[in-house]
Amino acid sequence: MPRRTNSSEFEQLALPLLSSLSSHAFWLSRNDTEAEDLVQETLSKALRAFDSFQAGTNFKAWIFRILRNTFLTSRTAIANARTVFLEDDPGLSDITDAGPNPEEHILRLENQAAVNDALDRLHPQLREILLLCDVEELKYKDIAIVLDVPIGTVMSRIFRARRGLHQELQQHFGESL
Amino acid sequence: MTQTTPVNDHPEPIQLSAFIDGELSPSELQAIQRHLTECHPCALQVLSAAQLKAVTARASQRFLPPPEVLKRLASQLVPQETTKPARAWSFGHWAWSAIAAVLAIAVSSIVWWQMRQANNLTAELLDQHLAVLSSGASPEIISTDRHTVKPWFQGKLPFSFNLPETLPPDTTLRGGDLTFLRGQPAALLLFTIHRHEVSVILTQRSGNPAITGMPVNSSGFSIKEASTRNLRIFAVSDIDPTELGSLAAALQAVQSTQ
Ligand SMILES: [Zn+2]
Repeated sequence: MPRRTNSSEFEQLALPLLSSLSSHAFWLSRNDTEAEDLVQETLSKALRAFDSFQAGTNFKAWIFRILRNTFLTSRTAIANARTVFLEDDPGLSDITDAGPNPEEHILRLENQAAVNDALDRLHPQLREILLLCDVEELKYKDIAIVLDVPIGTVMSRIFRARRGLHQELQQHFGESL
Repeated sequence: MTQTTPVNDHPEPIQLSAFIDGELSPSELQAIQRHLTECHPCALQVLSAAQLKAVTARASQRFLPPPEVLKRLASQLVPQETTKPARAWSFGHWAWSAIAAVLAIAVSSIVWWQMRQANNLTAELLDQHLAVLSSGASPEIISTDRHTVKPWFQGKLPFSFNLPETLPPDTTLRGGDLTFLRGQPAALLLFTIHRHEVSVILTQRSGNPAITGMPVNSSGFSIKEASTRNLRIFAVSDIDPTELGSLAAALQAVQSTQ
């Protein structure tokens, strides 16, 4: 049982993240009940391991990493292609070499439903990193901690995720772009 | 990541991606900014990428956890020697501020999105009211005295509000509770008008879109909205919408000092 001071400090750090953790858990598991279980398990693991958290480092990155590892060892993740989250180089490697494209048009991004669909179709590993960057607003160095990859990989994976999302949207809108 | 970008040379797309994330070194940043002022295609790409980033952030709104899930999870964090579940909510102002800050994801003013949000918000407000009607549990603070109810919320919410001295005819304050609306901390006030239950939810205005176009009537219930500079006030009940509007207006009127 952790010391009382620890658990109240933990409470202070974790409470503001409950909503973020829950919605990210849902994106990973795609299931309400499982998402809540994942967050519960994450909180209890994080509290037990709180002694190993170094003050001054990013608590959000630390607990998101625990969430991710909890997800990766969950039944659902193991049953459904857990490996897609662990590939070194998720698909779409063909899109990295595209140079600047002066013909590129502004996507019709006011169509949120289309963007949601495109996100759903994106490779899970690319979607995951995009959510950590754009939704959770983690810095590249903190995303590197969550995913346990080098920062250069974070940068290129985020780029590939955006390119992939862009291509999904282009396919959706076809020639009208 | 370390290369510099001559003015006549387009930056790599991957650099533009890092640029919109604010992840470039000062020298890279300077070079790209200089390039963007002179190169329309690249500026267009940056605009497009920034839009995509913003819209990705908004997509997450789909999966905001429901208030009851947040309550359950928060109660898990409370030290075990605390037995009463309601004590989970006695954490200080800082916590609510932090929650609000995290949840105040940049909200768009795109009209259709507001409409979609409005529909979600209607559903959430009805859920909250139905929960009040169906739960046998009494509210956390039970009192008809505004001098008891108002102070109870102090320190528990990242905002404050006033309660009217005089309520509309046959309208009685019953109590209050803490809740979440669209993932943000909110005050739930319970009233009765002619013995009909009325739920009033007050929340901070920032982060909550205006809900123009929200159906006034839904499943036999009416929703009335009023806003002040800082607050949004929603009243839900099955009573005559005019009377519901009077209560919302009375609450709106006393917030003027905020
Ligand atoms: Zn250029």
